[in-house]
Amino acid sequence: MKRSRDIDPIAAKAAILDYCRRKGALAAGVADLAAIERIAPPGHRPKDLMPRVKSVIALGVGGQTQGAWTVPAKALGYFGSTETRAYKIAYGCAFFIEQKFGFRSVYCPPDMDPDGGPRVPLQSLKLHAELAGIGARSLAGDILLHPEYGYMYFASVFTELELPPDQPMADNPCPAPSCVAMYRSIGQTPCMKFCPVQCLTGEVGEDGKQKVMRYDMAACSEMSQQYETVPTRIVEAIRAETEAEREDALFDPDNKMLWYKVSAGSGGWFAQCFECMRACPIATKAPLADPLLRGQAQRAAAEKK
Amino acid sequence: MARGLTREQVGVTEEMIATFGDIVFRMSHNYQERTGDPVRKLDWAEIERQKEDMGLTDQQIADKLGLTRNQVLFIRTIEERRRFRTGHHARLLELGGGKRFRAERMTPALDHFRYSESALALRAALRFDPERAREYVRRGWWRDDTLPKWLARHAAERPEAPALIHAGRAISWKELAEKVARLAGALHRAGVAAGDVVAAQLPNVPEFVVAYLAVCRLGAVLSTMHMPYRAAEIENLLAHNKAVAAIVPSEGKEFRPAEAVLALRARLPQLKAVIAHGAKIEGAFVLGEMIDQSPPLDDDAVTPPVAADPFLLLYTSGTTAAPKAVPHNYHTLLANARLGAPEHGITAGDRVLSAAPFTHLFGLYSVHVAMAVGAAMVLLPAFTPADLAATIARDKPTALWTAPAHFAALRAQDLVAKHDFSSLKMMIMSGSACPPDLVHWTAAQLANCAVTQLWGMTETQGALYTRPGDSIEIAANSAGRPSPGTEVRIVDAEGRPCPPGEEGELQVRGCLLFPGFVNNAAANEASFTADGWYRTGDLATADAAGNVAITGRSKDVINRGGVKFNPRDVEDLLDAHPQILQSAIVPMPDRVLGERACAFVTLRPGAAAPTLDELCAYLLGKSIAKLKLPERLVVVAEMPLTPTRKIIKGKLRLPG
Ligand code: SF4
Ligand code: SF4
Repeated sequence: MKRSRDIDPIAAKAAILDYCRRKGALAAGVADLAAIERIAPPGHRPKDLMPRVKSVIALGVGGQTQGAWTVPAKALGYFGSTETRAYKIAYGCAFFIEQKFGFRSVYCPPDMDPDGGPRVPLQSLKLHAELAGIGARSLAGDILLHPEYGYMYFASVFTELELPPDQPMADNPCPAPSCVAMYRSIGQTPCMKFCPVQCLTGEVGEDGKQKVMRYDMAACSEMSQQYETVPTRIVEAIRAETEAEREDALFDPDNKMLWYKVSAGSGGWFAQCFECMRACPIATKAPLADPLLRGQAQRAAAEKK
Repeated sequence: MARGLTREQVGVTEEMIATFGDIVFRMSHNYQERTGDPVRKLDWAEIERQKEDMGLTDQQIADKLGLTRNQVLFIRTIEERRRFRTGHHARLLELGGGKRFRAERMTPALDHFRYSESALALRAALRFDPERAREYVRRGWWRDDTLPKWLARHAAERPEAPALIHAGRAISWKELAEKVARLAGALHRAGVAAGDVVAAQLPNVPEFVVAYLAVCRLGAVLSTMHMPYRAAEIENLLAHNKAVAAIVPSEGKEFRPAEAVLALRARLPQLKAVIAHGAKIEGAFVLGEMIDQSPPLDDDAVTPPVAADPFLLLYTSGTTAAPKAVPHNYHTLLANARLGAPEHGITAGDRVLSAAPFTHLFGLYSVHVAMAVGAAMVLLPAFTPADLAATIARDKPTALWTAPAHFAALRAQDLVAKHDFSSLKMMIMSGSACPPDLVHWTAAQLANCAVTQLWGMTETQGALYTRPGDSIEIAANSAGRPSPGTEVRIVDAEGRPCPPGEEGELQVRGCLLFPGFVNNAAANEASFTADGWYRTGDLATADAAGNVAITGRSKDVINRGGVKFNPRDVEDLLDAHPQILQSAIVPMPDRVLGERACAFVTLRPGAAAPTLDELCAYLLGKSIAKLKLPERLVVVAEMPLTPTRKIIKGKLRLPG
């Protein structure tokens, strides 16, 4: 195995981030490991997962196509394999680092902690991305936003190769000026106003910056398009007081879909409702968040060349 | 179980969950609060200070609360599960694609409309034979028709054309739709919801039609109460149909219906609103104000009904012990009306007048037929011979729904010759046995009018009728042939079809037939054959061409000028009279009304015979409707009885 001193960390970092971009990441950066270790709670720190980790690389891929954002909410969830694109890049990146630089790397598991019950992830990909400077916390439940790329899906790579960290973003694009104007007139920003369960509240300061962000995650989780959660169905079946209720719990039009999907192996398991992001002027309309605009920008750049 | 452990192993009890559930739920990341932007700014003091607000891990919570990590994990997960509202995401079905969440427009799923228990019971009565239902749909008989749809169509297609003509004044389809929307709004605010029953005792006034259509717009069900009904009958009906609102006149002939119904409210817990037609009554809504002054129903507030929804609940004969409540959905009655309109030759240009009350299905049939095509409805609030003649002369109806008794009365007063009846092109006589000579006489008086006969029941609406092109002999001597979508058969006592000319029981089946009495298994058992034919209880013969003549009745009902009633409640009261031992009420033929009620009684030992007037006063004192009073009294020494001591009414003979 190579040793760090044989490698130019700046060049290595450039090569790794370049790899991520070539494979489809809109943004990539390196988070400050010490900062993560200090902020993440015990059990969820990179070193809990990979004791000799030296660097955390965060990357983000673009969200939905513009077409997807125009479909009814009930269908939007089905476009949700976006995050797997991010994971694929991270997965490839881990291989890339091992092969090219000879340092152990791991694609950071994006999933829930089997030791921690529901709602607890192994690692906070959000924290990694924020510290890597590729997103800033928004008033929409801390979803990260980027001024150019809007709303992204993130993945992380841990490596024993030491790389120079990036800084968090200097400015937070949220709230956008139009959101501030709306807040001043009705006391809510678009994400707050259009959240179907009103789980977002918050305040915008005199300076037009975020003052307080409040997020009722329990309510938001009820909006996950959970037609596919087996346990929920079973809980309903157990709670049922009559045969008819029990039959509904397992086989009503929503729920019966599940059995079909299990047998046909179709569909993902969860999708958020995304209404806050649909309404957000940055999430889908930042200059390069919109694949249509991104295409234009790329074509223009190619012409210039 | 979590982490391979059970609750018992980690020592989590219900009491522990009760104690710590809420705090654990809150301290975890279920609620998150962040002030400023400390992580991005790497403001370490703030990051530390806000850790708890952003949500703690189970271990951190455990340390704070003095629990083990596993206990927190169990408590949190159980608490999350118990609080988790399932089905919430269904609101996404209405969002996206340009539609955004608006708090003021969203009704939480739990608060969504649900049918009341009595509405569900009524809906449960609508059970049709699936094969026949499929056939009716395939043949195009059952469609998506509803009265609100028909109203909307006419209001859009012929907004200025007259919908109602009353006392010489026309109400256009557009105006009618507006009135209906306002009353529907008012009824909705008064608590009438889909599936609820609204009872109405109204004459054939515009408000009846408006109320009928407004009730329908709400997906509610109208149950009519005949005008002569008084407190006792009304109470029985309201108790049975569980009406949430009753629309009744402020002033009746001999009593004040609105006040009477208000007084019943203590015994009718489901009755939310009493609506008075006429003068203001303390404690009651005023129908006229509701129609004229209420804001219209918000279209999004109430889903309009569909054809399979019940919309009419009518009572056949009698209001006592086990009332026979006939439910209809739009499928049955509107299919029958839509298919019937061309058979009767009714088009949008016609003006249809019903001399029969709208509280009867025969009267409502005129409304249904008119609405099927967009014809105008000429209204005659209550029949008197003079008013009918004057209305025909003034409002010039082209089609008349009438009972033989009506025309017999016109004939008796010689009113046809004295008024201009020339607008009439078609007339339907129905409601009781129709004397052939009356048909001949009528046809002779009205040279340009096709006189037809119709036979129907509350259970069927228009089942048999002669067509305008039929010869007068057919119209005079038969009730004609089945309406489209209707099958009839005449069977002997063993259920075998009778050959032409032979009398048997008339049975009906088809897309018009009601599905069965509400909550009356005994009546349904007795009334339907195994293969779905309805035993009408009427005796009939058919000629070779299929024209059916009604020849008598096997069921115990008095048909007084088209108003049919079962006299059992009157008999029950007579039987309780101190001088009477046993009573039996039977029909006696009447030239004008077709039938009237005659009471046969035996006396208690030693009792003197009461007079008819005394008995009537006694019955009126028991709130019996006037029309059900016996009109003749016959005292007999003994009743003809079956071995099981039931009176054989057929053996009672009128003296003289
Ligand atoms: S994902 Fe949906 S429920 Fe959650 S915060 Fe956004 S809008 Fe609200
Ligand atoms: S809508 Fe977007 S930019 Fe506006 S406040 Fe919400 S998250 Fe921030």
